[in-house]
Amino acid sequence: MAPPAQSQRSPSPSQPSGCVGMLTSEGDLGCGEMAKLVNCSFVFSATQTLGNADKNSDDSNSRNTNPHFGSNRKGEVSDLKMQLRQLAGSRAPGSDDTKRELFKKVISYMTIGIDVSSVFSEMVMCSATSDIVLKKMCYLYVGNYAKHNPDLALLTINFLQRDCKDEDPMIRGLALRSLCSLGVANLVEYLVGPLGSGLKDGSSYVRTIAAVGVLKLYHISASTCVDADFPALLKHLMLKDKDAQVVANCLTSLQEIWSLEASTSEEAAREREALLSKPVIYYFLNRIREFSEWAQCTILDLVSKYVPSDSDEIFDMMNLLEDRLQHANGAVVLATIKVFLHMTLSMTDVHQQVYERIKAPLLTLVSSGSPEQSYAVLSHLHLLVMRAPFIFSSDYKHFYCQYNEPFYVKKLKLEMLTSVANESNTYEIVQLRPKSLGSISVTELCEYVANVDIPMARESIRAVGKIALQQYDVNAIVDRLLQFLEMEKEHVTAETLVLVKDLLRKYPQWSQDCIAVVGNISSKNVQEPKAKAALIWMLGEYAQDMQDSPYILESLIENWDEENSAEVRLHLLTAVMKCFLRRPPETQKALGAALAAGVADFHQDVHDRALFYYRLLQYEVSVAERIVNPPKQAVSVFADTQNNEIKDRIFDEFNSLSVVYQKPSYMFTDKEHQGPFAFSEELGNLSISAEPADSVVAAQRVEENDQDLLLGTSEKEESQGSGNNGSAYSAPSYNTTGAAQPQLDLVSLDQLSTVHTSGSLAIDELLGLGMPAATEPSPAPLPSDLKLNAKASLDPKAFQQKWRQLPVSFSQEISIDPEGVAAMATPQALPQHMQSHSINCIASGGQAPNFKFFFFAQKAEESSSYLVECIINSSSCKVQLKIKADDQSTSQAFSEMFQSVLSKFTLP
Amino acid sequence: MPVAASAIYFLNLRGDVLINRLYRDDVGGNMVDAFRMHIMQTKELGTCPVRQIGGCSFFYMRISNVYIVIVVSSNANVACAFKFVVEAVALFKSYFGGAFDEDAIRNNFVLIYELLDEIMDFGYPQNLSPEILKLYITQEGVRSPFSSKPADKPVPNATLQVTGAVGWRREGLVYKKNEVFLDIVESVNLLMSSKGSVLRCDVTGKVLMKCFLSGMPDLKLGLNDKIGLEKESQLKSRPTKSGKTIELDDVTFHQCVNLTRFNSEKTVSFVPPDGEFELMKYRITEGVNLPFRVLPTIKELGRTRMEVNVKVKSVFGAKMFALGVVIKIPVPKQTAKTSFQVTSGKAKYNPSIDCLVWKIRKFPGQTEPTLSAEVELISTMTEKKSWTRPPIQMEFQVPMFTASGLRVRFLKVWEKSGYNTVEWVRYITKAGSYEIRC
Repeated sequence: MAPPAQSQRSPSPSQPSGCVGMLTSEGDLGCGEMAKLVNCSFVFSATQTLGNADKNSDDSNSRNTNPHFGSNRKGEVSDLKMQLRQLAGSRAPGSDDTKRELFKKVISYMTIGIDVSSVFSEMVMCSATSDIVLKKMCYLYVGNYAKHNPDLALLTINFLQRDCKDEDPMIRGLALRSLCSLGVANLVEYLVGPLGSGLKDGSSYVRTIAAVGVLKLYHISASTCVDADFPALLKHLMLKDKDAQVVANCLTSLQEIWSLEASTSEEAAREREALLSKPVIYYFLNRIREFSEWAQCTILDLVSKYVPSDSDEIFDMMNLLEDRLQHANGAVVLATIKVFLHMTLSMTDVHQQVYERIKAPLLTLVSSGSPEQSYAVLSHLHLLVMRAPFIFSSDYKHFYCQYNEPFYVKKLKLEMLTSVANESNTYEIVQLRPKSLGSISVTELCEYVANVDIPMARESIRAVGKIALQQYDVNAIVDRLLQFLEMEKEHVTAETLVLVKDLLRKYPQWSQDCIAVVGNISSKNVQEPKAKAALIWMLGEYAQDMQDSPYILESLIENWDEENSAEVRLHLLTAVMKCFLRRPPETQKALGAALAAGVADFHQDVHDRALFYYRLLQYEVSVAERIVNPPKQAVSVFADTQNNEIKDRIFDEFNSLSVVYQKPSYMFTDKEHQGPFAFSEELGNLSISAEPADSVVAAQRVEENDQDLLLGTSEKEESQGSGNNGSAYSAPSYNTTGAAQPQLDLVSLDQLSTVHTSGSLAIDELLGLGMPAATEPSPAPLPSDLKLNAKASLDPKAFQQKWRQLPVSFSQEISIDPEGVAAMATPQALPQHMQSHSINCIASGGQAPNFKFFFFAQKAEESSSYLVECIINSSSCKVQLKIKADDQSTSQAFSEMFQSVLSKFTLP
Repeated sequence: MPVAASAIYFLNLRGDVLINRLYRDDVGGNMVDAFRMHIMQTKELGTCPVRQIGGCSFFYMRISNVYIVIVVSSNANVACAFKFVVEAVALFKSYFGGAFDEDAIRNNFVLIYELLDEIMDFGYPQNLSPEILKLYITQEGVRSPFSSKPADKPVPNATLQVTGAVGWRREGLVYKKNEVFLDIVESVNLLMSSKGSVLRCDVTGKVLMKCFLSGMPDLKLGLNDKIGLEKESQLKSRPTKSGKTIELDDVTFHQCVNLTRFNSEKTVSFVPPDGEFELMKYRITEGVNLPFRVLPTIKELGRTRMEVNVKVKSVFGAKMFALGVVIKIPVPKQTAKTSFQVTSGKAKYNPSIDCLVWKIRKFPGQTEPTLSAEVELISTMTEKKSWTRPPIQMEFQVPMFTASGLRVRFLKVWEKSGYNTVEWVRYITKAGSYEIRC
C-alpha cells in the first residue's frame, strides 16, 4: 500500500502542482498533533538503555528524574508506587501531566512483562480524574490485572460504576467496556445493572459497547446473562436501533450466544433459527449499505446460511448484492461470493454463471494488496479452481508466478496452473489443435524448474508430473521429465526420479525410454531417501532391461551400514529379490549379502522383511516368484488425497480458515471436534479402513506382493500431505490393489492380523514374531479387579455400530506425561503399549500435534466391550477421552484402568 | 463470525513484544512464545502467513520492522483478518503522520492502546475510519469535545444519523480555497519470455483523491471507459466521440461511491471524505501500452566470460520522460569483474543482489539506449552447476502516461453554496512487477 502513496508524494518535475505542497502541510498538521506526545517522550526503551532514559525524562518534569533508575526493577516499581501515592490526592495544576508520565511508565512495564500489580491500589486512587487519557490508561491497567487479583478488582468496581453514570457518553462507554472486560466471575452481579442501562443509553456509542458487553458477560457467566434476559433485549435492539454499528454488534453477540446456548436450550436453537428467517434477513439486506465493511461481512455470512424459497427470491437477492462485488474490502467481496455460490448450488446453470461473474473481482483481489491478503484470496480461488477448473482454463496466465512472489503464493498458483492446464488440455486434444494449452503451461512450469529456489523447483516438477499422470497424451511431458534428469542438479534429479517411478507405474509402456535415461544416473549422485528408494525400485522392477542392475544393487548393498533410511533398505531388499528371481546367477551373491544384512538389521520392519524373504525362498522359489514378482498391473488412479465429502465440507465453510488449511474446521478447532459431524466423519473413515481387514488374508498376500507399490503410495501421500499444509487426517482412499490406506493400516492391519486367527501360517507367524506381547497375558497388574480379555476381537463394522448406538458413559480431558507425548513420534508405539494391556487399537490417524485413536477392549469372562475415542494433542499434552461401554456399571472401573495404562505410556 | 480475534501482538524483529492486546480469554497469555518458538525462530518464517500451533491459528504480517500477529482460536475469516491489519496500520499511519515502524510504536504506545480498544471489541472489528476516530481519540487530554455539548454524541456514525447516509464525512467543513487533487496511478505487470513474447501483462490502477472542499459536495467523475461512454451515448442518443475507449476488467470503489447509480447509469458519483483517500481501483488486461521494451542478449562465452547486451526501448511519446528507471540484469554469483559501456545513465555491478544495476534518471520517450557489458567469472570447481538465469527486472515511473490509456474526461463538483473549485489531475505509470526472462 505504501509505494503508490509515496510515489504520489514524490514531486514530479513535469507537474510541480500544489499537490505536493498540500501534502507536506498536512504532514505538518499530523506532526503538530503528535508533538505533545513526542515531547512527553517517555522513552519506552528506558528499561533497556537506562542512560538515555534519564536524559529524556529530564526535560519534561524534574520530579520524574529518578536518581535510582539504575537500580533493580523492584526498586523502580516501588518508587513508582511511592510517587503515585503522593499524587493520589493532589489536585494541583499540572498534576495530571505528572500522573500521565507515571501511568505511561506503569503501562510500558506491563507491556514488556514486568509485574506491576503491586501498584494496583495506587492506580485506582489516582484514577479519580477528569483526564480521559489517564482514565483510559487506568482502565487498561485494571483490565490486565483484575483477572489475577479478584480482590483488588473489587476496588475498581466502585469507580467504574460511577464512571458508567458520567455525563460524558465517551466515559460511560469506556467504563462500561472496562467493567465488562474485568472477567472476574464473582463480580458479575455488579455488571448487570450498568449493562442494562447501557443498552438503553441515549448515546449509540454506549449502546455499541453494551451490546458487546453482553457477550462478554455471557462468557464470564452464561446463567447470569440469560437470567437477566439480555439476549431478548439485544434482539429487540437489533431490530429497532437506528445506529448500524449497534445493530451489527447485537447481531454478532446474539449469533455467538445462541449458537453456544443451542446445545443445551431448545429455545436458543429456535432463536438461532429465527435469525435466519425471511423478515430478519430482509431487514439486514435492505440496510446493508449503512453498515461498516466489517459488519457487512457478518451480515453476508448470516445471509449465506439463509435458504431462499424460490429462484425469483434468489435472483432478487443477487441483484441486490451484486454491487458488493465492487467493494474495496476483499473480505466483503469474498463474503458476497459465498452468498452467491451457496444460494445457487442447486441451480447448475446459474451456478456456472456465478463463477463467471466472480472471476474478475477475485482476480483483481489477488493482484492487489499485500502478499498475505492475496494469499487469503488465492486460497479461495484455489478451492474454486479445483472445483471447476474448466471455467478458469482461459485465465491460466493469471496463475503464472512472478519471480519475487513469496513461496506460499507461488505454490498455490502452481497447483492451480496444474489443474487448469490438465482440463483444457484434454479439451484441446479433442479439438486436435496442434499446440495444446497444457504444453504451454508445462513450458511455463519448466521455467520454474530451472528456478534457483529449491522448494519452488521441486513443486514445479511435481506439478509437471501431476499433469503427466492425469493426461492421456504424455509424450512430450515425459520427454520433459527426462530432460530434467539431464540437468544434473541434485534436487531436480531427486524429485524427478520419484515422479518417473510413479509414471512408470501408470504407463509401463514408457519403460524403455525412461530406463535408458535412468540407467545413466549414478546412484552416488542420489542422496535423498525417497529418490534413492525410487531408483532402487526401478532397478529391481526393470532388472531385465538394465544391464548393470545387479551390480549397482550389489554396490549399494555393500554400503548397507551407511544407509540410514529404513525405507531405502526395505526397497533394497525387495529390489534385490526381484532381481534375483530374474537374473539368478548374477544376483545370488548380492542377495545373500542383503538377506544377511537385513536379518541383522536393528530396524524391525527391515529385519522382518529379510526374514520373510529368506523363509519364502526356503519354502518354495516358485511361490516366492509369485509373491515378489507377479505380473504388474498398471495403476490407473492414484489415491486422491481428499474425498468429496471433505471437499464439500470445506466449500460449505467458504471464507474461513478451513479453505486456507484445506481441511474442514472440525479437524483443527478443538472445540468443534466433539461435534456430531466429526464423529460421523471418523466413522466414515473406519468403515473404509475396515474393508481390507475383512479380507485380510487375501489382502496381505497382495500387499506383500505389492509392498513396494504400497510404500510408493505412502510416500506420495506423505509428500502430498505435507504439500497440502499437512492435512491432519489423511483422508480415506481406496487403492486399486486392495491394499488399505497406509496411515491407518500401519496400525490397524498389524492389530487385526493378531486378532485374526485363521490365515496363511507363514505370514501370521512372521507378523506374530514382531509382537510377542500381543498374545501374552497382560504383564502389568491392573488397578481394579476388572479383567480384560487378552484376545479380544471386534470387527470394525461391529465397532462402528456399537459406537453409534451406545451413549457416552465417560468423557474427560486429562493430561499425560510429556515423555509419553514424546514417544508419540512413532505412531505405532501407543497402540502397542495399549495392546500389552489388552486394549486394542482399531483405527488411528492424525499428524502432530493431533492424534486420534479408537480403542476397544472386552471383559475377560463375558463379551461385553468398551469402546474408547482418544484424542491426543501432543503440544499441550492433553488427552480427550470418550468411553462407551456395553456394561455401564463397570465403565468407571474401565476408565480408571484405561487412564492408568495411558499414564504409564512413556518412552520405551 | 468475521474475525473474533483472541489477541493481537506487535513484535519487533527479535521477537520482543512491543504491544499486545488480549481480547478474549480463550488463548493463553504465552501464545506469543509459541509464535516465537514455532515461527520466528524456525525456517517457517515467511513460508506461510497463516500457521496453526496447538489449537490456535496465527496470522502474521510484516510491516517495515514490525510483525503484527493475530491469534484466533476459532475458524476465523482470514481475508477479513488481514484486511483488518492493513486498515489498522493505515489508521496508525494517519495518526503518526507517516511511517509505521518499531520506533513509531514505542513513541506512541499509549495512543495505540487507545486505538486498539476502539477498533476492535472482544475480537470483532469496530470502526477503523480515521476520519471518525480522530473526532474523539486525541491525545489532547481534555475531556472529549462532546462533553461540552451533551447533545452531540461521540458516535462513530454520529453523522449518519444526521445526514442519513454519509458516515465518512463530517459536516461543516470550510476551506478558503476549494481544491481537488486527482491522481491516476497505474502499475504495469509484465512477464515476457526470452523470445520476446508477452506471457502475461496487466495493469492495476488506482484513482487517488485528495479533497479540500467545503460543505457536503457531490462529485461526478467521468472516465473514457467503454461501458461508461456507451451508456452516456445511449442516454444522450448521440454517437460516442471518436477516441480510445478503455475496457475495464474489474472495478472496485471506495465506500463513498454510490454503487447503485454506478450500476444503473455507469457514472461514478460520490460525496468524498475529507482529505486523502482511494476512490477506485481497477484492473485491465486488454490493450495495454507497454512503456518499455527490453531486448536482452546474453552470451556465455566459455566458462569464465559472459557478454551482456541489453537494449531498452521507450515506446511512449517523445515529449514525455520516464523517471527513476532502474534495470537489474542478473549475473552469476561468481562474477569477478565487469566492464560496461552505456549510451545513457550509469551502470554498476551490485554483488549483494548479483545484478548489474543500470540506472537512468531521466529517460525520454522514443529512444533506445543500450548497455553492453563484459562479465568475467571466477572459474570454480563446481562447473556442472549451470547458472539459472533469473529474469531482468525493471523499475520506472512515467508521469503523464497511462499504460491503459485511461483519461479523466471530467470531474464535476456540485455543492449547494455553489463555490468554484480548482481541480488538479495527474497521471503516473509505474512498474509493478516488470520482468523479462533472459
